[in-house]
Formats: sequence, structure tokens, C-alpha cells
Amino acid sequence: MAKITENTRNEVKETVYSFFIEECEVDASALNDETNIIRDIDGDSLMFLELIEIFKKKYQLHIELKTIGKYVVKHPAETIGALIDMTMLIIEHEDRIVNLD
Amino acid sequence: MERVVVTGMSLITSLGLTLEENWTNLVAGKSGVSKITLFDASECETRIAAEIPASFDALWGAYIKKRSADQMTRITKACFVCAKEAVNQSGINFEEQDKSRCAVILGVVTTANTSSEKNPQLQTRILKSMNNAMSAWISLEYKLEGPNFTVASACASSAYAISLGYEMIRSGAADVVIVGGADSIVNKEEIEGFNHLYALSTENDVPEKATKPFSKNRDGFVIGEGAGVMILESEASAKARNAKILAEIAGYAITSEAYNIMAPMKDGEGIAKTIAKALKNSQTNIAQVDYINSHGSSTMLIDKYETMAIKKVFGERAYNIPISSSKSMIGHTIGAAGVIELVITIQSIIKGIVTPTINLDEPDPELDLDYVPNVARNHTINCALSNSFAFGGHNAVLVVKKYL
Repeated sequence: MAKITENTRNEVKETVYSFFIEECEVDASALNDETNIIRDIDGDSLMFLELIEIFKKKYQLHIELKTIGKYVVKHPAETIGALIDMTMLIIEHEDRIVNLD
Repeated sequence: MERVVVTGMSLITSLGLTLEENWTNLVAGKSGVSKITLFDASECETRIAAEIPASFDALWGAYIKKRSADQMTRITKACFVCAKEAVNQSGINFEEQDKSRCAVILGVVTTANTSSEKNPQLQTRILKSMNNAMSAWISLEYKLEGPNFTVASACASSAYAISLGYEMIRSGAADVVIVGGADSIVNKEEIEGFNHLYALSTENDVPEKATKPFSKNRDGFVIGEGAGVMILESEASAKARNAKILAEIAGYAITSEAYNIMAPMKDGEGIAKTIAKALKNSQTNIAQVDYINSHGSSTMLIDKYETMAIKKVFGERAYNIPISSSKSMIGHTIGAAGVIELVITIQSIIKGIVTPTINLDEPDPELDLDYVPNVARNHTINCALSNSFAFGGHNAVLVVKKYL
């Protein structure tokens, strides 16, 4: 189980925001934690997978995408804030995230 | 029954990235055929095609977000850009429409996610390949909630799509239908496949002369890339928003020959039946037809059978109707041919100009109709036909009239 610090959360938040600013071609001022990824900024579900790949490399996470998929089906993350929260759980629990239920 | 009108249209072909550019080059009788650049064709028997100009790669960025573009093939992008331009021309504001009564129907054989596609990504392979991608992207762009789907009937695909769009409006099921299609089969696998069917011209040395419909020395078609989109609308909807009406779709016929997977029915019998059915469907008599935009693919059999069919339906009148082949200039754009050639036909009605059949330097003695050889002609057109025929025995004839 990885140790989560305030710095980790800041790093994740910065990466997520930068990702959406670039991929959705939106201004930073258009984003906040309540922003709905699909409805508000024309995002898509593939973006979540791409972000997970980024974080897998960055934090050397041991987790299969299908494991994350099982969790996401039960706990969909529609907003940027929810996505950041879920990413923090993935970093903290890795493959054991499915046991959180 | 609702009258069905056209309020917007756009083209991308080897002759240009806009309707205006295409029209100028078509009237000038230019050829869009050149050596293949999209892949190394040096080992192919056919090494020529009518490719969309490379300058398209600098154009689409103004219409498509990078993220979406990464999930589209080049030809899907062309269709999307065309749709945006057609919508712009129509002046329609979908925010003021009942979006549940707005549909998208495209004729698509393939999205061309082939070996010619640059930068293939495993993650986007399915999104790029799925046959419904083009209609889905257009629907998403305007948040349209009516049906969006594609129809595949080979080289008649987009003509079928227009027919279905016409029916939806005619029957009152929709107010607006975005119709059209796009296609590119300029890749090694399909060029080789068509070469094995002896369907393609192999006149590689002088590409611009290779496609020569109705000529004695025609030796097959030349593959073209292209996209075309039209905005079909009920007359009531167009009038309610004071839209400029470009033409009226008066009727159509779509039929199956039920004869052979590749060969057309002998002597053009199936083609003749389809033309006759389209005239009846549109309540048009043969004296009213002023122009025929032919299928005119430059293959031995189809050009002959299309000519025979026109003679059978129109009798002596056949000799007085200008008939031309857009494929002589832009190649055969396969699934997109139906819409591209109908847009050209409508433009001919609006401008009062018939585009030529180029490379018709050596007439075939058996083919003796007026094919508008080599030079465009001023000609008043109130009613015209656009023909599309396809492998599988899919025939389509669209009837379009000046809006009065």
C-alpha cells in the first residue's frame, strides 16, 4: 500500500488538469473539480485509461486495467474531482482497490 | 407528403477542398488523377489514383479538435469537414430545431483505417474503424438526437443514404437529415484486389488521361478519394427559417439486380428498370429530363450498358440529353460517388452549366449519345438524373429538380 502525501495529491491534480487542458483544448479557467468530463468539455472515456497509464508509469503501480474497470463500473467518475479521488485510491490500494467495497 | 429540398452541400475531392474550388476545376475539365502518394505503389499494376490534395492535412485542424481528430481516419475527417461546411452553407442553427427530428444518414463502405493510414494507434483502432464513425461524429458535433447510421451498398452507398434521408423527410419522420458519405480505398490491399478483378485502369504513364468514360480505349476506372455532404430538409422547415433552397429532390429508385455479385445484368436491363422506376417515383416524364450525370465509370461493360439503358428508357430523346461523367475528372469515389455526383448535378442546375466528360478523344462507335466531350457547356437544366451502380447489383437513380 503506497504512502499518500499532500504532495502526491497535488501532483495528481496538476497532471489531471494539464491533461484535460491539452486534450480538450480548453482554458484552465474553464476547469474545476465539478467539471463534468463528457458533458462540459467534450471528453471521452478513453481519457481515463490514458491517465491511468500515465500514473501507472509515474508511480510504478501494479494494477491491471481490467481491475480498475471492475471498480469503475460500480463507482463511475464523471467529474474531474471524482477522477482525482479515484486516482488517489488507485495509487493507494493498487490491485486491492476491488476489495474496498 | 412533404417536399424535400436541399439547403446546403459541400465537397472534398481530388479537385479541391471546397465546393467552389471543385466546381471551377470541373468546369475547366481538369483531372485530379496523379501518381499514388499515400503508399508505395511501385509493385502494384495500378499506380495512379485521384487522391485528396495533401493540403487537406493543413485544413482539418480548423474544424476538428485534436482529441477527436486522433480518433478519426483521414477520410472520416474529410467527411466531418464537409458536414461542417454544408451546415454552414445551409445557415441552420440546430439549437433552434427539434433535435429529435434531425438525423444523419451516410453511405460508407469503409472508414479506410488501412495500411495507408498514418500513425496507427492500437488504442483508437476500433474507433477509427467502426463503420458508423462518420455519422456518429456528426451527430455528436451538433447533438442531434434523431437516428444516425450508415448504409453500405458499395459504389451506390451514398445514393442509398440520400434516398433513405429523402424517405424520412417525405414521410414526416424527420425535418432535417444530413446525408452523404466519404471513401478512400487508396491502399495496397484494395488496389491489388481490384487489379485482380481487372477493374482498374493501368495507364500509369499519363495519369490524367487514364479515366476515359465512353471512349473506345477505356480500360477500367481510377480510384478516387472524396467526401460529400448535403443538408436535406422539409420544404416547411426550410421556409420557416427563410433558408435559401438550392434544389428539390424529386424522387429516386433503389433496386437490386439479383443477377451477379459483380457483373451487371446483360444489356443494362437492371439499369433501365431503375431509371424507369425513378422517373415514375418522381412523377417525371422523359421529355422533362435535361441532363444525366452518369455512373460513367470508364469500364467496358458498365459504360456500354448504361448507354443501352438510357436508350431503352428515353428512346430517340436519349440523343438530345447531355450525359456526362464526373468520374472522368475525379475518379471513382466508391461509396461517396453518389453524393458527390449529385452535388455536382445540383451545382449544374444552379449554374446552368454541364460539366464535361474529359479524355473522350476516341469515341466508341457503339456509344453514340451526347457525352459532353471534353468541354463544359452552357445548358438550362430544370430536371436531372444522377446514376450510381455497384458491385452486388445495387442500383440507384436520383431525380433532382430546380426548386420552383
